[in-house]
Amino acid sequence: MRKFFKIYWPFALNYIKSNFVYKGRFYLFILRKFLGMFIYYYLWMAIYASSASDQLGGFTRSEMILYVFMSYTISDMVMVGISSEIGSDVIDGNVAMSLIKPINYRMRLVFQALGVMLYRAVVPSLFIWIGLEIYKAAYLGMAVSNPLTILATLCSIVFSFFIFIFFDYCFGMLAFVTTYIFGMNIIKNAVLNFLTGKLMPISFFPEILQKVFAFLPFSAITYVPVMIYLGKYSGLQVLFQLGKQVLWVGILYLLGSFLWKKVEKRIVILGG
Amino acid sequence: MSENLIELKNVRKEFVTAKHYPGFKGAVKSLFSKEKIRKTAVDNVSFAIKEGEMVGYIGSNGAGKSTTIKMMSGILTPTSGSCLVNGLEPYKERKKNAKNIGVVFGQRTQLWWDLPLGETYTVLKEIYEVSDQDFTERMAFFQEVLNLQDFMHSTVRTLSLGQRMRADLAAALLHNPKVLYLDEPTIGLDVVVKDRIRQAIREINQKYNTTVILTTHDLNDIEELCQRIIIIDAGKKIYDAKLNQLIKDYGDSCSISFEWKQRPNALQMEKLQMEKTQMEKTQMESQQNLGGKLEMHINESNVQVCFSKKEFTIAEVFAKIMGLIDVKDVQIKETELTDIVKRIYQGNKGNQV
Amino acid sequence: MIKKVARYLSLYRIFVIQYVKTMMQSKVDFFIGLGGFLISQAAGLAFLYLVFEQIPSMREWNLEQMLFIYGFAQVPRGLDHLLTDNIWMVGWQMVIKGTFDKYILRPMNIFFQIVCEKVQFDALGELLVGFALVGWAVSKGTVEITPIRVLFFAVSVIAGAVIYTSVKLILASFAFWLKDSSAIMTTAYEVADFAKYPIEIYAKPIQAVLMTILPFAFVAYIPSTYFLIDANIWRTIGAECAVALVIWIVAYKLFQKGLTIYESAGN
Repeated sequence: MRKFFKIYWPFALNYIKSNFVYKGRFYLFILRKFLGMFIYYYLWMAIYASSASDQLGGFTRSEMILYVFMSYTISDMVMVGISSEIGSDVIDGNVAMSLIKPINYRMRLVFQALGVMLYRAVVPSLFIWIGLEIYKAAYLGMAVSNPLTILATLCSIVFSFFIFIFFDYCFGMLAFVTTYIFGMNIIKNAVLNFLTGKLMPISFFPEILQKVFAFLPFSAITYVPVMIYLGKYSGLQVLFQLGKQVLWVGILYLLGSFLWKKVEKRIVILGG
Repeated sequence: MSENLIELKNVRKEFVTAKHYPGFKGAVKSLFSKEKIRKTAVDNVSFAIKEGEMVGYIGSNGAGKSTTIKMMSGILTPTSGSCLVNGLEPYKERKKNAKNIGVVFGQRTQLWWDLPLGETYTVLKEIYEVSDQDFTERMAFFQEVLNLQDFMHSTVRTLSLGQRMRADLAAALLHNPKVLYLDEPTIGLDVVVKDRIRQAIREINQKYNTTVILTTHDLNDIEELCQRIIIIDAGKKIYDAKLNQLIKDYGDSCSISFEWKQRPNALQMEKLQMEKTQMEKTQMESQQNLGGKLEMHINESNVQVCFSKKEFTIAEVFAKIMGLIDVKDVQIKETELTDIVKRIYQGNKGNQV
Repeated sequence: MIKKVARYLSLYRIFVIQYVKTMMQSKVDFFIGLGGFLISQAAGLAFLYLVFEQIPSMREWNLEQMLFIYGFAQVPRGLDHLLTDNIWMVGWQMVIKGTFDKYILRPMNIFFQIVCEKVQFDALGELLVGFALVGWAVSKGTVEITPIRVLFFAVSVIAGAVIYTSVKLILASFAFWLKDSSAIMTTAYEVADFAKYPIEIYAKPIQAVLMTILPFAFVAYIPSTYFLIDANIWRTIGAECAVALVIWIVAYKLFQKGLTIYESAGN
């Protein structure tokens, strides 16, 4: 296990380092994250101001504010794309090269993404979260989250990370079918914005769609951790949701291995 | 207007970059640092080139060759000094200058990557406003000297490096520029293709009197193409002369290796050593001590003597050694351009110390 | 002058034909790209639709009007995206990799060369959605249609596209100083998303930014009030044109300034 970390940890560390090198990018990175959030923040403020009832889709105004910020922060943290990297690796022939290296290709990507995730967890997610807790207590008149909720949320976020990364790995296998992974990614992101609940709480969708969403792994990426954070689930429900996340991690992992085997055969026969 | 087609006077180019620190702490430090590094890529370089000349511009990696070429083609603006190409300052009158020059960068291409090669020429014809008649005539000429017809309809992406280089050369020459800049035109090519490219450049120079400036690491390019050589090191011009002058100045060292019939015995060995000491003494006492190289290497199957022809004649050395040992075969090696250039570099380094 | 324009037009035609030929080699990519932008648009629309299930109107704007603003914002954006997408490459990698050299070496206007090298047909997705929404608003009677209004619509769309292009050019030009300005460009594009909704919903400082530094308020929301509530033409479309003119001049000057300090790559 220690050896395992010794091999793969540098991939994570390298990313973190390279992010500090370009200072311009560093500051902008933070700014950019706030922008999308603020559009939706203001939209929701205007929507609640125009609404006769103080609850929409089961959310009060204060809860919706928290939802917007948390869903953005969590999505940003856990949705670390690796499919475009797979895409360029396929084009450059690096995938075939990786077969002869004593390193597992998927593990390398996972650790690279882990570096990104850890970096984003601090810059700026941690600060946004702390800011949010202060805002909650000072302006929204709500209690600061209790340690147990925070712990459950963190657990859920870690599972989210693995769900997304293993999903994106499967998605990246498309690079062996089409070279235009940039376009595919635009489609993927647009669809995921819906399915994960980043765009709006899933409770806003028609009943039938909600049921469909519950069967898919995507709502577990953003919607579930945010709902846990907001205390919308009871203790038992929290455990159930966490269990569901773990199940999806397993399923997507196995699916990835299966797809890779197919692809590997193709590489060996046809060349990268 | 002067008779010189290209004139550089005290040209200097500096680059400024932000400083990066190594390591993780360094990375964090870079985030807040404002320190800048100033680097002089080209330092006070002057030269003039006449129409129709073919000049080799050489130097080690990072010596400033490409930077100079880029200033002459209008890509970079000199920090100070003046640079005139056909009476124009390239970076000020970019469009006019662009019609006068053709550029081939060995590692890059100006061809339309995803299209059949022929398409590139039709587009370039429009860009440079080449008349139909000139176009047909020049294309025919390029077909002849560069053999483009075999891959005229292939997608550029699929061309081999050699084919691509030939195609790029034609692309750079389609508008019949007065000056052709070639930056590493033969890099990565095999001997046969190199030869064809050189042949083509020679023919183009003869037919159109195109001035050619060539940077390269392959000194054979220079030997076969250029009448003149300019050497640059660490941004400074350190040598500029006709190629035959260069050989005259530096091409005096010579090396002869004598292969023996059977390995010399101890006595013969001793005599060889004595002869060397003797030669060194002659060298020291001579009126014109030029301090040339004098070396004797005794190897497995031969003895090798290196000397300067200004101090000893080949006949002298022959006589000395033949009298000492039984010789089976003799090989005479005159200086190669590579050695000369190496010596010039070393000389320059010596001066700096 | 006329000769010059004619020459550039014919060059543009040639470049575009070459680009289309290139694209024909990968038709699947085209449909993926088109689909991608269509679906992204659909997401934004679905948000509005689902929200308006819950409320009758937002700050006096009903769903039809909101959709008109949304669609109206897409048209100039799509037009800019279609025609000048290659400017992205300047900020993203041309400067840092030195591939920008090739433009300098050719006897043509550099901006023109950059722009005509690529036609981003993915943008048809945005244009399609934009026109569909505008058309829908017209059919619903949300917006009245007269010949003069069609004319002003065209003027507004062109001015809006000029604003988009100019902002893009300004930010791409930063690459001459910073080597890579893609992060700034993506950030600005996120700001452009603010323009899809009525700007009065935002806090004052954000409104100020949208009307000055990144004047995206002028590409859709402000001119759309002329069509929706008959706002004064000079204060809407007139202002848009003035902003477009000023920012274009600034952008082009900055671009030219950047060219003089371009450092190429390598040594």
